[in-house]
Amino acid sequence: MKAVILFSHGSTLCGAGTALGNHAERLRSQFPLVEVGYMNYSTPTFEESVDKTTAAGATEIIVVPFFLAPGYFVTKSLPDRVSANRRRYPEVHFLIVPPLGADPLLADAVIDSALNPLRDDQWREGLNTAARLCRFSAECPVFGTHDCEPTFSGVETVLNG
Amino acid sequence: MGNVTALLVMVHGSPKESANNDMFEVVELVRQRRVFPIVKVGFMECNQPTIPEAIAECVSDGASKIVAVPYFLHVGTHVADDLPTLLEEARLIYPAVEFALGRYIGESAIVSDILAARITNSGQP
Repeated sequence: MKAVILFSHGSTLCGAGTALGNHAERLRSQFPLVEVGYMNYSTPTFEESVDKTTAAGATEIIVVPFFLAPGYFVTKSLPDRVSANRRRYPEVHFLIVPPLGADPLLADAVIDSALNPLRDDQWREGLNTAARLCRFSAECPVFGTHDCEPTFSGVETVLNG
Repeated sequence: MGNVTALLVMVHGSPKESANNDMFEVVELVRQRRVFPIVKVGFMECNQPTIPEAIAECVSDGASKIVAVPYFLHVGTHVADDLPTLLEEARLIYPAVEFALGRYIGESAIVSDILAARITNSGQP
């Protein structure tokens, strides 16, 4: 069975994975096994998603870099991570596809965004999302700021996992 | 002055200038679609023009409205806070110009289509 892992950098900002999670969810309507795997900061890690997809029966894993440009993370870090996982699962075939690059559909995405702008009160909705999805992480850039005042319920969430 | 809407593509920028090549290719496609009579790129860091400089170019080219699109895949403090701040500052400098902000492109459902095509085509040589 073929599985897909969307490989992404990861972020200290709480809620930063919401958009990528939505992409994974949309892809699940077309492909049977789709997971997100992060390089740093966020979970699940790439390794956790390799474990999960192989446990679900994946024999081939298509790794899709969620990156715009073929920079260091795509050309060096990702192949290194994949090589390490090939050693863990020698029977699984890993395939890395190119990043978004100059895909012509990105032009459509830019135009679509410009033709459907945000309302002014949505300009900083990323901050609201971060506060709403607070992981109680002091590494988060908005942790403890006016936009994200960690609350007792946040502490409870962390303590109760 | 008539109604002239400019599209401003807001880009992070990179110390390695060639990292912007793919983005410039995409922006050229946007220009060729002729949806917006003015299309400019402005950089947050490292490269030029800066976003305020690109806004000034849009205004001197006759823009009465500027729609800014963050060319970012991820929400971080740049998308969530710094870019809105730059546009708010521009509103104070150019009170006659209307400013709007689009969603960052990483949120676009069109990006899901690109990812799906990458997966579907992965078996091909």
